Amino acid sequence: MPGTVSTASSSLARERIFADPKALMAIRNLELRARVVVEGFWKGLHRSPYHGFSVEFTEYRQYTPGDDTRYLDWRLYARTDRHYLKRFEDETNLRCHLLVDQSRSMDYGSLTYSKSDYVRTLAATLAWFLHGQGDAVGLLSFDERVRDYLPPRHRHGHLRQLMLALEHQPEGRWTDLSEPLRRVAELARKRGLIVLLSDLLTPLDALERSLARLTAAGHEVVLLQVLDPNELAFTFRRPTLFQDLESQQDVYVDPEAMRSEYQRRLADHCRHAEITCEKLGATFHRVVTDQPLELALVDFLRGRSRRNKLIRRRSLAFSSA
Amino acid sequence: MNFLTPWFLLGALAVGGPVLFHFIRRSARERMPFSSLLFLRPTPPRATRRRKLEHIALLVLRCLGVLLLAAGFARPFFPKGNAPPPGSVGRQTVVLLDTSASMRREGLWPKASAVARQYLERASPADGVAVLTFDQQPRTLISFTDWSSWPVDQRAALAKQRLDAVSPGWGGTLLGLALTTAAEQFADEASRAGVPGPREVALISDLQEGARLDGLQGHDWPKGVRVIIERVDSKLRGNAGLEILDASVASAGDGRDARVRVVNASDSDRERFLLGWSAETGAGSTGKPAQIYLPPGQTRTFSAPDLPPGAPTGALRLTGDNEDFDNTAYFAASEMEQVIIAYFGSESANDPNHLRYYLQRAFPETARRQVELVSTVSNYVFSLEMLKRAALAIIPRSLHADEVKAVREWLAGGKTALLVMTNVQSDTTLAALAGAAGIEVSEASGDYALLGEVDFTHPIFAPFADPRFSDFSRIHFWKHRRWTIPPDLPALVLAKFDDGAPALAQITIGKGSLLVLAAGWNPADSQLAVSTKFLPLMQTILDWSGGAASARSQFQTGDAVPSPISSGDALQWRRPDGKVVGLAAGTPFTETDLPGIYTVMAGSRLRRFAVNLPLDESRTAPLSLDDLARLGVPLRSTAEFPAAKSPGEQRRLQQGELENRQKLWRWLMVGLLAVALVEIALGGWLGRRVKTLEVTL
Repeated sequence: MPGTVSTASSSLARERIFADPKALMAIRNLELRARVVVEGFWKGLHRSPYHGFSVEFTEYRQYTPGDDTRYLDWRLYARTDRHYLKRFEDETNLRCHLLVDQSRSMDYGSLTYSKSDYVRTLAATLAWFLHGQGDAVGLLSFDERVRDYLPPRHRHGHLRQLMLALEHQPEGRWTDLSEPLRRVAELARKRGLIVLLSDLLTPLDALERSLARLTAAGHEVVLLQVLDPNELAFTFRRPTLFQDLESQQDVYVDPEAMRSEYQRRLADHCRHAEITCEKLGATFHRVVTDQPLELALVDFLRGRSRRNKLIRRRSLAFSSA
Repeated sequence: MNFLTPWFLLGALAVGGPVLFHFIRRSARERMPFSSLLFLRPTPPRATRRRKLEHIALLVLRCLGVLLLAAGFARPFFPKGNAPPPGSVGRQTVVLLDTSASMRREGLWPKASAVARQYLERASPADGVAVLTFDQQPRTLISFTDWSSWPVDQRAALAKQRLDAVSPGWGGTLLGLALTTAAEQFADEASRAGVPGPREVALISDLQEGARLDGLQGHDWPKGVRVIIERVDSKLRGNAGLEILDASVASAGDGRDARVRVVNASDSDRERFLLGWSAETGAGSTGKPAQIYLPPGQTRTFSAPDLPPGAPTGALRLTGDNEDFDNTAYFAASEMEQVIIAYFGSESANDPNHLRYYLQRAFPETARRQVELVSTVSNYVFSLEMLKRAALAIIPRSLHADEVKAVREWLAGGKTALLVMTNVQSDTTLAALAGAAGIEVSEASGDYALLGEVDFTHPIFAPFADPRFSDFSRIHFWKHRRWTIPPDLPALVLAKFDDGAPALAQITIGKGSLLVLAAGWNPADSQLAVSTKFLPLMQTILDWSGGAASARSQFQTGDAVPSPISSGDALQWRRPDGKVVGLAAGTPFTETDLPGIYTVMAGSRLRRFAVNLPLDESRTAPLSLDDLARLGVPLRSTAEFPAAKSPGEQRRLQQGELENRQKLWRWLMVGLLAVALVEIALGGWLGRRVKTLEVTL
């Protein structure tokens, strides 16, 4: 996988391999969009270090007093007159929660598609990719409150449900990041991967505390900030009455006079989020919606790979010490 | 250029709208949705010159669109002269104006006249107008030829001048005849003028229930003719009328009642009426009126109160209804007529082998006439004074010279005699009366003779003209006399025997006539007396001679009153309005257009007769238009030109017609559409251009 990442990260390869986001977004079916992006990546690598009760049977273990009798194999007992418990391979080796921002601010887009379209495609791509390599994927969509929640699973039909949940259009009036992070901290009992996809265009005062709770619980947290290119460049030229998509407030702004200040304040805001993530060990990526989705997937995997290397180095240093 | 609805030009003030919207829409159109205002700070707006002057072309187009719309709604037109446009086909209109008696109701005639005037004033120079009035007869007041021959600018005035002379009469309403006559006007005009334009019959009438629709069933209407109904309504509803049924039974002073038929219109709200006699003029009543009860929509017959004794005429008045025009029925008592027939025979009246026996029984006494057969007794000579009282003389024998002289003089005064040749000795009498020598009479040979040829056009045989009564071949003449008519004799053969000999001939003597019958009706001569033809033949001869004419004394307006005498001096007819009309004897009197008592002096006798309205005129409930539609009348629901009342409105309507012909508003709408298309294209192009610039920058 690292080799794949390095290959895919070359700019030449990007131009040659990756699909144009405009052409991709022209595909109406979200699942098909995700399949197109994921195609070419090989399946998952991890085998679960845990044994749970899932669909895939692995071996029998002789019953010892204290075991749960629900898992006794009565047919085997009938044949052999022995008590055995059925043991299953855990469904996943990775439990991933995708936290998707569906507030109204995600409805903005200067291209032929909005940030919401892009984010939903990106979330679907990640879900398809992780599901394809045997990981359990869950979804939590939110705006000012949690809208939909699908627990991480790797079952037949789960991916379809997840895609349907992602089809929902943005409805919320504003964005509250602390609430979904608090909820996912409550729901994710096992350690896993938490991927937050949002434009983060909201006050970040409570972000640090919420992220700290997740990282403290051992979760791997990835923040994917998705921005429109116009939000970065602020290319508006004429004095305009700007309307906030979430609050519907109007502000008369002369872009020529305001551009530099806007860019500076946005950069400060993003920098603040990045520093918070760095401090808490979370991964921060900024994705611009005119970028190919494959590149975002590659950046995501490369970030995970880098993090895993770092953890291993830290653990080796800790053990040698 | 004028405008039909100039107040719509105020809409041009809306041109300020686009100008204003160009400023207002600026800030509204520039509202830009953005993901978050978290990093934006309000900046004060800056006014620049470019903002004010932007999209001038669009502004001009939009203002032009508003102006075109306002001008279109104002309906402009060019005030040209009255000359029709070349090649235009005008409208042909027949104005059919009801002048029947029911139009005398209160307020109807002014309304009808005003509507007719509207049609005259509305007519454009290319139009053709004919005006027909009708009651029982349609009359052409203005023909299409008259209209087209008048100068264009004087047509309406001249037509109105003729219209002013018209007023409703006292006739009934023959609507069917009037409509078919009006339709025929188009046929005449089409044959004269070639390709016709729109053709309309404007029927201006009260359309009362009593209008007669005869002749409409199955009438072949010319193609394209439409009938516009211009109904004029009376303020008052309901009416009752009356008609005296039989004057003969109400003879004056004999104590017998007159029968009167009363009709109450179906829309009436009255049920109780009073019937009473008044003086002939209708002013003041005589005697006590009788109260009658008649529900609406019904017709009943009542006994009129007793006529005052000795009154030869009277006026029966009905009171208690809303309309007065038909409340008087004039009455003239019919007089018993004494008719004398001078019979020159001397045989017994009870001997069936002779002529008198049958002649005596041919004239029974009736209610109107009493015939007295005066005969000579044993060669008694009739004097001229005696003959003067007789209406008819029957001569079955040879006359003496004195008798011949008296009869000839009597005949020359306008009387009629019937010479029956019972034998060949009648030749001298015939020659003497006719004043012609050389007339020879001989007994015909053979078994019997039949009538071979009859002139049914003569008044004597005219009643037998119907094929049901025209068979004279069953009358056998056992014996008859042959005689030849001298060429110089003013004689007319009315019937011939089958051997060619004259059977009945008329010889004119002075103002009178001598009828010569070549056979007798006694059984030895023929079967004529015992045939069904004898009595009517004798009656017609008596009537033709003037002895029984004009016994009828009740007529309706428009009827022709027969002359009481067929020959003789001219008669003087006096109308109720005092006008005296002189007519030759035998000429019917037709000027019965006024209800009232008429008189005529026939010789020394004064005859009276009454003329009344037709009872149908009293049925004034509205006629259902469905009845006309059922009869195939091509109705059009409303008139294109409703009645205008004021000169200003007339001018507006003329302008409307001019505008309707020019239709300039269509071109303005086409221009508006073109402007709108250009505006859309330009607006779209500018919008795309601005967006491209924004993205580029």
